[in-house]
Amino acid sequence: MEIHAYEKLWLALALVLIVGFIGTITYGAAGAGIDMIDDKGGTVDPTTLDDHPKFGDPGIEKTGENQYDVYVVTRQFVFEPGTTQPIRVPEGSTVTFHVTAADVIHGFEVVGTNANTMAIPGQVAEFTVEFDEPGEYGLLCNEYCGSGHHVMEGKLVVMEQSEFDSWYEQQQQEEEN
Amino acid sequence: MATASQRTFVDRFPDEAAVVKANFLVAFVALGIGAFFGLVQTLHRTNIVRVIDSADYYTMLTGHGVLLAIVFTIFFLCGFFHWAIARSLDRPAESKLFSWAWFGLMTTGSALAAIAILGGLVPNLGISADVLFTFYAPLQAHPIFYIGLAMFIVATWLAGADWFLSYRVWRKDHEGERIPLQTFMVLTTMIMWYIATIGVAVSVVFFLIPWSLGLIPSVNPLLTRTLFWYFAHPIVYFWLMPAYMMWYTILPKLSGGRLFSDPLARVVFLLFLLLSTPVGIHHQYLDPGIAEGFKFIAMTNTMFLLLPSLLTAFTAVASMEHGARQRGGEGYFRWLGALPWRDPAFTGMAFAGILFAAGGFSGMINAGMNINYLIHNTLWVPGHFHLTVGTAVALTMMAGSYWLVPQLTGTKLYSRPIGLLQVTMWFIGMVFMSNAMHRAGLAGIPRRTAEPQYQNFDFVTPIGSIFELRVQIALGGTLLFLSVVLFLFNMLLTSLGEESDRPVDEYLPAPLSGAEGSPRILDNLTMWTGIAVLLVILAYTLPVAAIIQNGGGLFGGGLPVPATISAGLDLATTALTGAVNTLVGVIA
Amino acid sequence: MAVDSTAEGSAASPALRADGSGGVPADAATQNSSSEPPVDSIVGTADDGIVRQIDHDDFDPVGTLVLVLIYMVILLSMWVFMYFIEFLGRGLTVVG
Repeated sequence: MEIHAYEKLWLALALVLIVGFIGTITYGAAGAGIDMIDDKGGTVDPTTLDDHPKFGDPGIEKTGENQYDVYVVTRQFVFEPGTTQPIRVPEGSTVTFHVTAADVIHGFEVVGTNANTMAIPGQVAEFTVEFDEPGEYGLLCNEYCGSGHHVMEGKLVVMEQSEFDSWYEQQQQEEEN
Repeated sequence: MATASQRTFVDRFPDEAAVVKANFLVAFVALGIGAFFGLVQTLHRTNIVRVIDSADYYTMLTGHGVLLAIVFTIFFLCGFFHWAIARSLDRPAESKLFSWAWFGLMTTGSALAAIAILGGLVPNLGISADVLFTFYAPLQAHPIFYIGLAMFIVATWLAGADWFLSYRVWRKDHEGERIPLQTFMVLTTMIMWYIATIGVAVSVVFFLIPWSLGLIPSVNPLLTRTLFWYFAHPIVYFWLMPAYMMWYTILPKLSGGRLFSDPLARVVFLLFLLLSTPVGIHHQYLDPGIAEGFKFIAMTNTMFLLLPSLLTAFTAVASMEHGARQRGGEGYFRWLGALPWRDPAFTGMAFAGILFAAGGFSGMINAGMNINYLIHNTLWVPGHFHLTVGTAVALTMMAGSYWLVPQLTGTKLYSRPIGLLQVTMWFIGMVFMSNAMHRAGLAGIPRRTAEPQYQNFDFVTPIGSIFELRVQIALGGTLLFLSVVLFLFNMLLTSLGEESDRPVDEYLPAPLSGAEGSPRILDNLTMWTGIAVLLVILAYTLPVAAIIQNGGGLFGGGLPVPATISAGLDLATTALTGAVNTLVGVIA
Repeated sequence: MAVDSTAEGSAASPALRADGSGGVPADAATQNSSSEPPVDSIVGTADDGIVRQIDHDDFDPVGTLVLVLIYMVILLSMWVFMYFIEFLGRGLTVVG
């Protein structure tokens, strides 16, 4: 099949470009250590979330030195926690989020960052993020979830360690009572 | 003799012209309503003018998506393909009745879906379908929305059958001849469509219709979502293929030149047939419940799908350059000035191509697996697809109409200057709107949101301001709406015009490099279909099995089972698909 | 302009067209009666402006090559910017 020399050159460059793109993405995964949302979070029955040991009372839980798990339930049109209470995490921590949906599909986006996932009923999105400095982030639902979708928002607060510790202790005591 | 063969399409194929006209009519009505909804939305979400309740925003957004991305594009496609088959095989359709039957079914299906959607604007009616274009369960629409959709899909299958039938009859009289290029393009596109629509048909017929009627209590949301994307990425190419077909077979003529290469055009359409479907998971990069390996496979397939588009860019520009040089153009760049910029059909398609080049770039970002975190479900994404389906496709279809519609009505275009103004306004409006949407997406502003203004935080953009972005989006959207008004006005007055002996110059010249120099295997549609199906099976069997197994069965609601997908199997599939892709690349 | 079997349909007679495409819009001018819109509104008449026939062997799309190479450079630099600055430069990223 006859192809013009210029077009052959273009074809070759296009293939290099494609391989270069795949190479960059692979570097991002292997070199820069960016992990994908996948099936490691497992599944959960969305109809009995309230009885679930974690999602029944979602929030933060210390799992090790500077290690935390945060459980978040998304439902029309709130993040629990996130909307009425901000999600609180300490500075310098490694936090693993477990996000699921109670009713329809939602989105979980920490505004202006790469922390972004879908929340699908029955599935748990599990991902780990490192928080360095104290500060505040916005939280929004980026998947249409019904007529009040635009009011579904919240806050994520990265607290100073001492401040966080006293808040966390207080939480623990309240739960025991 | 010569005059007979130069007669216009409507004189040679009056019955086909009537079917094409009917398809275009429905397409243009949908375009008008959809564009109006777009105007309301662009002013609402930027908080410039709010005339509706924010809850109704989503009804209008559903209408905008379905009317423009399904009804406008696909009715136009059906009309265009019907024209192309009759023209390139030089024979009327086998049964006029059958053509009207699929048109009737398609229109009925669209009307049912439209009633379900618009019902949402009428309080207390009890009919609504505020589920957006993607209709992700467990959001639920009225059953007639899904039934209308199913009817529509079946009608497109029948339309395809109409064209395949014409081809079979033509083949009997033309043993051993190459498939005419336009027919080749129609048939490969339809084979892709048959493979792709299986996903949505299964989703709608087996899950969503019974569920919306209350026959089954629940669905597996990840399964219906995956089936949707199995269908809805190839639909992107179903929109795009008529535009590509115009760029390959009509644009060279409009430029005063000839198609640069017929064989490469065939290769490009075959690559789309092979690679369009096993990529849908790239819309689900951030979905839980799908292993990373499957996402990586979808990404490699998607990246290789850039190849046919990049080849198209070269061939289309080279064909234009041929025209420009025949018209006396010289130099490395000066030849661009020799192109017929006063012809709205040419200029519209050229503008569409320019913006598609930009949309191609944002599509490359979308395709990149992990960089998807940056832009997933932000305004970047509609910024992207308003350049692709919203310009590469829609503007090419409008520009093509300036050349096609006179062939169907036998009347000259009402106004060339208005046409030129229309395509230019679309170009400028889209530059404003889509660049601002891309930048807003990088600032984290979500898509599909009536009031993206929040209590807890403000968006920040490094350059310019959020207000400036909003103004650009509103201004661009308004220009786009006005452009549609001009287009519809021009089409209406064209159809009411006086009959002309030479309404348009219909002649299409032969390609510079013809099909005779290409391997005959390119025309072996059965073989290519087999490979396409194989690729789909490779890409989808394991993910779908895992979703059914882990997501509580076919209908959801079952007990969760821990996810265990063998890493070895995963790797083998990646390697296999990668190898096939490379092979395809080499063949090309 | 050779007539080959792949020229589609009857779509006019190429031989006849080759004669008429020398730059004079003869048929349009003569057929245009005064009651109709001006010839200006006929779409697709770029062929009327053809001043020379360029055949397959005489055509090297050098202008196209220049344009697509420029496009390639833009693609590459934008990709590097988007991936390494916009994306990897962001604060919070999913690492596990």
